[in-house]
Amino acid sequence: RRGLAGAAGPPSTRQLREAEEAAPVFQYAGKAAKRKDRVFVWGFSYSGALGVPSFVKPDASWKKPRRIQPTPYRLETEEKISSAACGYGFTLLASNTRDITKVWGMGLNKDSQLGFQRSRRDQTKGYEYVLEPSPIPLPLEKPQQTRVLQVSCGRAHSLVLTDSEGVFTMGNNSYGQCGRKVVEDEIYSGSHLIHQLKEFDSRVVQVVCGQDHSLFRTKKGTVYACGWGADGQTGLGHYNITSVPTKLHGDIAGVNIIQVSSYGDCCLAVSDEGDVFGWGNSEYLQLASVTETTQVNVPRHLPFKIGKVKEAACGGTGNAVLTEEGNVFVWGYGILGKGPNLIETAVPEMIPPSLFGWSDFSPDTRVAHVRCGLSQFAALTNRGELFVWGKNLRGCLGTGRMEDQYFPWRVTVPGEVVDVACGVDHMVSMVRSF
Amino acid sequence: LNAAPGRAPRQQIRFLPAPAPGGGGAVELVATRVPVLADHPLVRGPRFRKLKIGAGHRLDVKSSGVFVLGIGHGNKLLTDLYNCHLTKVYTVGGLFGKATDDFSDTGNLVEKTTFDHITREKLERILAVIQGTNQKALLMYSNIDMKTQEAYELAVKGLIRPMGKSPPIITAVRCLQFALPEFQLEIHCLHETQQYLRKMVHEIGLELKSSAVCTQVRRIRDGVFTVDDALLRTQWNLQSIQEAIRNCQLKVETELEKTL
Repeated sequence: RRGLAGAAGPPSTRQLREAEEAAPVFQYAGKAAKRKDRVFVWGFSYSGALGVPSFVKPDASWKKPRRIQPTPYRLETEEKISSAACGYGFTLLASNTRDITKVWGMGLNKDSQLGFQRSRRDQTKGYEYVLEPSPIPLPLEKPQQTRVLQVSCGRAHSLVLTDSEGVFTMGNNSYGQCGRKVVEDEIYSGSHLIHQLKEFDSRVVQVVCGQDHSLFRTKKGTVYACGWGADGQTGLGHYNITSVPTKLHGDIAGVNIIQVSSYGDCCLAVSDEGDVFGWGNSEYLQLASVTETTQVNVPRHLPFKIGKVKEAACGGTGNAVLTEEGNVFVWGYGILGKGPNLIETAVPEMIPPSLFGWSDFSPDTRVAHVRCGLSQFAALTNRGELFVWGKNLRGCLGTGRMEDQYFPWRVTVPGEVVDVACGVDHMVSMVRSF
Repeated sequence: LNAAPGRAPRQQIRFLPAPAPGGGGAVELVATRVPVLADHPLVRGPRFRKLKIGAGHRLDVKSSGVFVLGIGHGNKLLTDLYNCHLTKVYTVGGLFGKATDDFSDTGNLVEKTTFDHITREKLERILAVIQGTNQKALLMYSNIDMKTQEAYELAVKGLIRPMGKSPPIITAVRCLQFALPEFQLEIHCLHETQQYLRKMVHEIGLELKSSAVCTQVRRIRDGVFTVDDALLRTQWNLQSIQEAIRNCQLKVETELEKTL
């Protein structure tokens, strides 16, 4: 039986309005709601380079080992990571904190490219595969004041750049790429040796690792190189190895270089006036615009008429540059990003901006950074979107598919991508949440 | 329609006997044009007794805007237009701070939230993400092999679109107005329903750590037909309809030729 205390029919408009105003208001965004910085990884995981041990050795019996992580996966880190670098099967993460632990490494450690990681089972030996981001002990003089600015990884060596204590190098030194004298029959596995480089004409502001060589750019705009030189990638005028960082001359003598890039055996440098200089391997037509030879051991100016260049990125066989207007130009060999028909070109070709999200609706969208892995390219737009293209080696593109990508494709990342580092078969990105 | 002057009756040529010129008596057969009696309006009756009207893309009760109708032979064009898979443009109005069960402002209230922390920049960031994921869906559902050169060229021009059945895809979103707690968006979409757009407004509210309801859905363009071509309630008479059909004929033909 219906009680007489309740209303007779459906609630009137006034009653509905009063009920609405009396409803409690929930607050989901706190006052101190800040955008968090996160790290996302994807690609081949068995080397440990993704830093998620459960992919390699599952911690629950129902979990299966995951060989490839095809889409971005969030990596929990203790500190905010400001710089990351991917090498050939290993990764370095660095934070610019003043705490004692500033650099973490994971992945292959057969040449001690991640420093000495003491094994828990045998205190005298080190780990050959590091599955989780583990701190790298750097021999700093003032560990609580120095900050790590940048890290870079090559095939089997790594460089760590600090703000006041020079550059630390570790890993394989069979070609002098760590900047110290080559020792015959040196055993690099389980080595404690981390070399420190301080003698440059001014403070080093950028370090770049090629496959087996290292490049250092100083504040004055000069470039130093050491390591393997058989393709001329050291740019010192000869094809021998160099074990001490030596200044480069050639077409960049006296030029203020603002950015250097390398990943394989070819190197590119950008000057403050927007000119591009290249040296090293040219078997894939990377430097064919100036010379027919396949190795160039002195920096040469590349006379491209594409406008003022802001940033350059070198891959294994293809190169990309970003101009001031925000256009991306590619050249070289391989999947360059202009469809399956463009396999090689010696002259830079522009990738149409509509592929990066430019349209009549958003005419302000432009590419802000370009990065290269060994056979893939990545571009970051000013809207925080990440576009990748190239060979999809073991899922390194992060698109979720295993096929190669012949033109720029968006990677779905839950956040605004701030920076990305490309390796051979994996990628790491630093993302700010919304 | 029936009052308008109809077609002139068909003429036929018959050989009728007529008196020969000159002498009387002899009858000659002369060919003359005579109207066919079967075409006489009194015999035939009114020309139009029923009109077949077909509807284009659905528009539900709570929305407003352009609604395409086909009359008579135009219904065949309707199926062709549907197969063109052209985008539709909506202006969607939303209100922050409320969440209802059917995502519009007339539903039962579920929750109220704060919204002072929302800025236009945050909204535009969310819209960029929506556009990005829908762009991927656009390429995936278009069933084109990504490895071919044609796929690349179509992608450059932005002409890749699903030519078959697909879930709702948004090709472009833009924020037209933003005045807390109200905001207005312009959405270009394919294969959608209006309820999906309302759900989209609700999800935007959730992403911004608040809640939102949809106050208005108005279709301003459906393929080639825009609000300017549309007829108002006061213009629902024969002359305007005929004029509108005439004006749109050319546009529809060019669009069909371009796509099919």
